[in-house]
Amino acid sequence: MKAEAVHKPAAARLRLTKKKAKSSNRNNLAGYIFISPWLLGFLLLTVWPIIQSFYLSFTEYSLLEAPTWTGTQNYANIFKNDTDFTTSLKVTFIFVLFSVPLKLFFSLMVAMMLNKNLKGMNLYRTAIYFPSLIGGSIAVAALWRNMFNLNGYFNHVLSWFGIQGVGWITNPHTSLATLILLNTWQFGSTMVIFLAGLKQIPNELYESASVDGASKVRKFFHITLPMLSPVMFFNLVLGIIGSFQTFTAAFIVTQGGPINSTYMYALFLYDKAFKHYQMGYASALAWILLVIVALMTAINFLVSRYWVFYETDGGKQK
Amino acid sequence: MLAATLGLTACGNGGANNGQSNAEGKSNNSDPNAPVKLKIMWQGADIRHQAMLKTQEVYTGLNPSVTFSPEYMAWDDYWKKLPTLAASHSLPDVLHMDGAYIQEYATRGTLEDLSDIDLTGVIDEKTLDNLKINGKLYGIPISRNAQGMAYNKEALEAAGIELPKKDWTWDEFFDFARNARAKLPEGVYPISDTDTWDFYEYYQMGYGKGTIIQEDGKKFNLDKDLFMKFYGIFAEFRDKKIVPPADMVSAFKENDPQADPMASGKVMTRGATVGSVGALEQLMPGKIDVVNLPVGPEGGGWAQPTIFLSVSTDSKHKDAAKAFIKWFVTDKKAGETYGTNFGIPIYDDVYNAIEPSLAPKEKLGKKLYDTAKDKALPFSPAAAGWTEWVDNYKKTMDAVLFGQKSLEEAYNDISKSGNALAEKLSKSSK
Repeated sequence: MKAEAVHKPAAARLRLTKKKAKSSNRNNLAGYIFISPWLLGFLLLTVWPIIQSFYLSFTEYSLLEAPTWTGTQNYANIFKNDTDFTTSLKVTFIFVLFSVPLKLFFSLMVAMMLNKNLKGMNLYRTAIYFPSLIGGSIAVAALWRNMFNLNGYFNHVLSWFGIQGVGWITNPHTSLATLILLNTWQFGSTMVIFLAGLKQIPNELYESASVDGASKVRKFFHITLPMLSPVMFFNLVLGIIGSFQTFTAAFIVTQGGPINSTYMYALFLYDKAFKHYQMGYASALAWILLVIVALMTAINFLVSRYWVFYETDGGKQK
Repeated sequence: MLAATLGLTACGNGGANNGQSNAEGKSNNSDPNAPVKLKIMWQGADIRHQAMLKTQEVYTGLNPSVTFSPEYMAWDDYWKKLPTLAASHSLPDVLHMDGAYIQEYATRGTLEDLSDIDLTGVIDEKTLDNLKINGKLYGIPISRNAQGMAYNKEALEAAGIELPKKDWTWDEFFDFARNARAKLPEGVYPISDTDTWDFYEYYQMGYGKGTIIQEDGKKFNLDKDLFMKFYGIFAEFRDKKIVPPADMVSAFKENDPQADPMASGKVMTRGATVGSVGALEQLMPGKIDVVNLPVGPEGGGWAQPTIFLSVSTDSKHKDAAKAFIKWFVTDKKAGETYGTNFGIPIYDDVYNAIEPSLAPKEKLGKKLYDTAKDKALPFSPAAAGWTEWVDNYKKTMDAVLFGQKSLEEAYNDISKSGNALAEKLSKSSK
């Protein structure tokens, strides 16, 4: 009896936890069923191709014939004899180095302007964000091509002032800069995130700083920037990842030319895969890009502790 | 109700037939009157697109069970899109192939052997044999094509410049450029600069040094003396502004009203083929005339079929596709509809039937063909596996155009990669 009495609560507990586990299992199952459309898509269209591309990166695969295993040959060729690899990597790094800070700076400036309390500000916001709805699409790139061509609109406007323009996208000295400008101009989503971040900054901070007689510049550097640093960090990381994968601009506007001056890594990868029928080689390139982007992101996170300020940490820098 | 029953029976029959025909191999796997939708793709300028669409309408009019799902685009986009379709086994049933690419597609097993289409009396055996790849016919030639040049007759005459003459030599071509420079206004150029391998190859072949890519890509043959001489002349032309500056050259886009070298009014001459000169004439009606490519002691340019219709190996309607192609090539009504938009129709009876009613601009293609054919040399496309080298040739020469590379360096780069590729290909085939 005694023993039974001792065991009863334990058994009940066990039953209870079993029941709990069962119902939570059932809940989980229901959850998985609900997300299954996305999950299936993710597994079949993202995870599976990723696994496949890893395998393919060790093969020679022409797309049209079955792949043959070549071990690390692709990687060896990329690092040893491929001048296009080094060229495209260089072009991409330059692109990232310039376009990311420029875009951050530009979108922050626009966000600050749109954060002012003016009459009809919502209208301005909509108008300025509107082009971003078209996004980084083919249409925008095609527009850019027509604007900055030798006989494009930009040179046409220049000619009103008696300036003879160059073929901005067909001249190797200016082509990459034109693409950087394009990327900067596509500031919409970055700007919106900045704007949301600006709205989060409590007004009291500015008010008390004003009482203390702080100038506008001082308020910007000592309130706005630190309070905005997590948002800045977010935009920076996404910006770097996105810029490394820039494809549309190079593909549509310049096709990597002239003479490889805008030969972005993603375009080089595409050429290898779909133009020169070297899918295995292209897969290896993709994995190298993944490692590079992962490294850059890791460095970003490491460095972030020195400049990103989180209010939840009690104002202490990590 | 009756219809439903019939439908069911038809399905049952279809299934049975399928099993049978698979066993037999190639015979019809459906009855000829079942509705078929053929996917069809081609490249070209708008004038060709319209003609091709109309031709399909005519065919559907005659064969109501066959309809088309067409897709068409410009040359560059076409060859960008095709590899991805091939890779995903979704090539259209009927597709436009070109001499420059057919080897690549045929040797990778994406195209059906069409030797069984009976073309006796339509295309002579010798022509067909010449077009076979490893003994098989992967595309039916639909036209006679030729490479030549178009020139702005109106502007040249207005400037008092002597017009190019049939069978002009390379020296005469270069002299034409030098003389015209003096008479043309600033910002207008007699000829354009060149960065693609094929234009130089015409020169090398004309001087008897043969093609650059030989033995199906296993041998590489770039003649250094001719290479240096040819591009040396263009270097001189660049200095003397006989050819446009490099950034203008790379902005040119053929058949684009604003960016076409000739239609934009910037250049007096450019390359043209029988099948494409109509598009240029449409941009500058009545202003242009044609001449063959400059010739060397051996000849120059080419004149032969380079435009094909092929059938994808993945097609589910191979018989319908073949029937359409045969009609396209042999039927007068078809010929009347597409006219000279692909070149001179390959079947003489078709061409003879449409010749009297050709508009003057359409006769331009015929004139180009007739001018080019006397001195023509064989058409020599890049072999399978050489597309990357072809791209790099252009990039290397662009670096020369922009003054970032010396000619010597360019020669070394191009011949190094060419030799390496030839060696790789000859190893892998042993």
